Amino acid sequence: MIAWILFHLFVFPGMLFTGILGLFVGWYDRKLSARVQFRKGPPLFQNFNDFFKLLGKETIIVKEAVKSVFIIAPLAAFAILTLISTIIGLALFYQRGFGGDIFVVMYLTMTFSVMVILGGSATGNVYSSIGAGREMKLLLADELAFILVLLVPVIKSGYQLQFDQILAVQQTSGPFIGSASGIIAFIIGMLCIQAKMTLAPFNIPEAETEIVEGPFMEYSGPLLAFWKLNHYMMYVIFPFLLILLFWGGFQFQGIGILWAVLKYVLIVTVMIIIKNTNPRIRIDTALNFFWRYASPVAFIGVILAVLGV
Amino acid sequence: MAINELSLLVLVPFIVALLNIFLPVILRKFLSVAAVVYLIILNYQLFINVAPDAYLFDVAIFSVDKLSLFILAFIQILSIIILVFSLKGVNTDIQKSFFVLYPMTVAFCNGAVISVHVIGFLIFWGLSGIALYFFNLLGTSKSTPDTAKKTFIIVGGSDVFLILGFVLIWFLMPQSNWSLWNLKLGLSGELAYIAFFALLIAAFAKGGGFPLHSWVPDYSKDAPVESVAFLPASLDKLLGIYLFARIVLSVFTVNIGIHLFLITIGTLTIIFAVMMAMIQHNGRKLLGYHAVSQVGYMILGIGSGSVIAIIGGLFHLINNTIYKSNLFLSLGSVEKQTGTNNLEELGGLGNKMPLTFLFALIAALSISGIPPFNGFYSKWMIYQGILDIAKTASPGYQIWLLVCLVLAVFGSALTLASFMKFIHAVFLGRRPKILDNVHEAPSNQWLATGILALICILFGLFAIEIPLKRFILPIMSEYGLEVPAVLGYYNPLLLVALFGSVLLIGLVVYWGTRKVRFDEIYLGGMDALEHFRVMGTEFYNEIRNMKPLKGLYDGAEKKYFDIYDVSSKCSFSITRFFKAVHNGQLQLYNLWIVLGVLILLWVVL
Repeated sequence: MIAWILFHLFVFPGMLFTGILGLFVGWYDRKLSARVQFRKGPPLFQNFNDFFKLLGKETIIVKEAVKSVFIIAPLAAFAILTLISTIIGLALFYQRGFGGDIFVVMYLTMTFSVMVILGGSATGNVYSSIGAGREMKLLLADELAFILVLLVPVIKSGYQLQFDQILAVQQTSGPFIGSASGIIAFIIGMLCIQAKMTLAPFNIPEAETEIVEGPFMEYSGPLLAFWKLNHYMMYVIFPFLLILLFWGGFQFQGIGILWAVLKYVLIVTVMIIIKNTNPRIRIDTALNFFWRYASPVAFIGVILAVLGV
Repeated sequence: MAINELSLLVLVPFIVALLNIFLPVILRKFLSVAAVVYLIILNYQLFINVAPDAYLFDVAIFSVDKLSLFILAFIQILSIIILVFSLKGVNTDIQKSFFVLYPMTVAFCNGAVISVHVIGFLIFWGLSGIALYFFNLLGTSKSTPDTAKKTFIIVGGSDVFLILGFVLIWFLMPQSNWSLWNLKLGLSGELAYIAFFALLIAAFAKGGGFPLHSWVPDYSKDAPVESVAFLPASLDKLLGIYLFARIVLSVFTVNIGIHLFLITIGTLTIIFAVMMAMIQHNGRKLLGYHAVSQVGYMILGIGSGSVIAIIGGLFHLINNTIYKSNLFLSLGSVEKQTGTNNLEELGGLGNKMPLTFLFALIAALSISGIPPFNGFYSKWMIYQGILDIAKTASPGYQIWLLVCLVLAVFGSALTLASFMKFIHAVFLGRRPKILDNVHEAPSNQWLATGILALICILFGLFAIEIPLKRFILPIMSEYGLEVPAVLGYYNPLLLVALFGSVLLIGLVVYWGTRKVRFDEIYLGGMDALEHFRVMGTEFYNEIRNMKPLKGLYDGAEKKYFDIYDVSSKCSFSITRFFKAVHNGQLQLYNLWIVLGVLILLWVVL
């Protein structure tokens, strides 16, 4: 039993699977972005090379920083993402409830942002602090819509909170994306995960050209490697979450395998295309967008779900 | 004649307080500790063997049931922890009065909780309000007298409603014989509603529910910090929510409309207070607004009528007292070391006060509902309860419940936001040069905050084993409420074990590959001057200045939503009118007499 849990946590669908798939998807992101910009793009294993190269590099820590927080933040964030990927993956691949329900995952994703903020503000660097503040504001912006989005599958499945049961309802009565409320929630959900992953146009906390990677500015060496890995792992976690909640999960028989890969690639491709075709917006614009437009629309989705549409 | 055990809960601390008036400070401390330790032992014994009721003139005055035992236990636990914190560090000018008031307050609060007779309850309830007023007067800031007056008017004024409520209950149900417990009065007819709301006002004023909350932030700012952790953060919450739980669970049988009303009020309390907390620049006021906001979750949980949510609400009550007093005490330690509680003047203390930082961080994460700490567990139960009612409700009711649920969940994101600001502003970020010589707080202080932080972790991990099974579930079975199965699933121990093992691997990788060099802050070649310091208080200016919110915030800063300020303005404008009318001119007075006679004639004829 313990061996199985550890296998799920460390190998599949947890740490190794999510990390490796994430790094590959990271390559896809870089390659596709390069093609959009008429560049050639990196080779397939570039992200692995980057990761191991960073592990060998020097770690520079600010003298006055709160060092324990600075060091633990990226590692704790990595552990949180591994945990989320295990919970989601077990529901998705094994139809098993594990560890926690939808509220637990919702709060765990929030905890990831907490780690970014703590790690960033531990240094005392002005850019990191500004970035940390923006990370929090961005979380506030997308969280309201995200809660509404997550409520839709809960309502549609007759108030099931556990992932495996939400999936089971979809497998008997069709994926929720086929209904009006489901498609609304799915689209808003796509925007929310774009913001949660801080991809353009919501790359406000990092804003390379303005505040030089914000919270991650002082990071280097292995710690930076973990932040990079974390970012790529989210490319696995969030699309999987949407597929799990709205798109009926994966079926691994015959044509189902191709369909499963297509679903995932489609979501990731849309994310990358949005990322490459939109300029960064200001934080107040993002707040306005999510609070004034996205959340009301998601709320309409909730109302429709209650009415059974 | 043996003295009744229950009376000892009141008599012992009260006598200690009286003795303390004449003793030197060191003995006052000793005696206070001895009294509270004794109370804990006594309380433990009450858990094991049921004590007989105490009678005065053949009327039962003191009695305990599971609910009051639960509240009593946490009154004693928090009293001892906060007392440990106060042993060293209380302002020397106020030390003498502090150690008289402290045991006295414990006596009054114990008395209110075990009183079964209305008169006794009123007396102890009122006295604890007066203790609050005296504690407030020990503050040293310029606005202390005003705040004390405000606190006294709101908390003391609500006693009037308490009396009104009790009289009406007696009127509706004379056979109750002025007893408070287990009436199960049906809410039918206007009088019953008036009685219900009168008691509700008293509970909200004490506990700090919207719209009677406005004394809490002001008190937090102006009173001595130990007393803030002691009263509005812990004991007053316990008392206020105790009364609230009694009203909802045993005095009245509440109908669905009232449930909906309470859920809405709870949500409003959460959102309104947390939005105010986000923009505060004073650390104590920030925490004060959170002391209000958390009450919202309790009202939401206990008032919702779902058994899971009621359990969650009661659990949240004790969780809140634990992490909120921890936060106030941590800020108190910082304040005593640095001499300020202004967030703009602090920063980067994580290196200088590592223990205080760690404990404050745990409390901050708990209050924001980060798993696996205790705050998450109780919030999670409340959400489960709300969804449990929504499951079987009609569509309109369902949507309303879901709106409240979404706002409550979002409230915890806002809580997180203001605590990230708080942690950044006090412990992280850049340290101002003047704070270079700050040291860790004295050991009694970090011991107190450390114990509270430990309880936050333990109650989060072993929520079912310790607080629920020992304290809260017995209350439910006493009221005959059946606990339904939870919709969701959450296993904190498993999550923490797995989190820990992955974190360990991460640490091993880092440890194996690290080559560390220490350097200055890198600003792209510029000198990292202190001038470039980000204080953290400006984090949410964009939200403060958003279109519809800006108007609300401006209004709130002008105190348009403060019921005390609004009503005092109203009463002053009325008196101003009468002042203007009484200008000393005889002709005018004649006119008033004629007018008065005319009105009288009109009324009579």
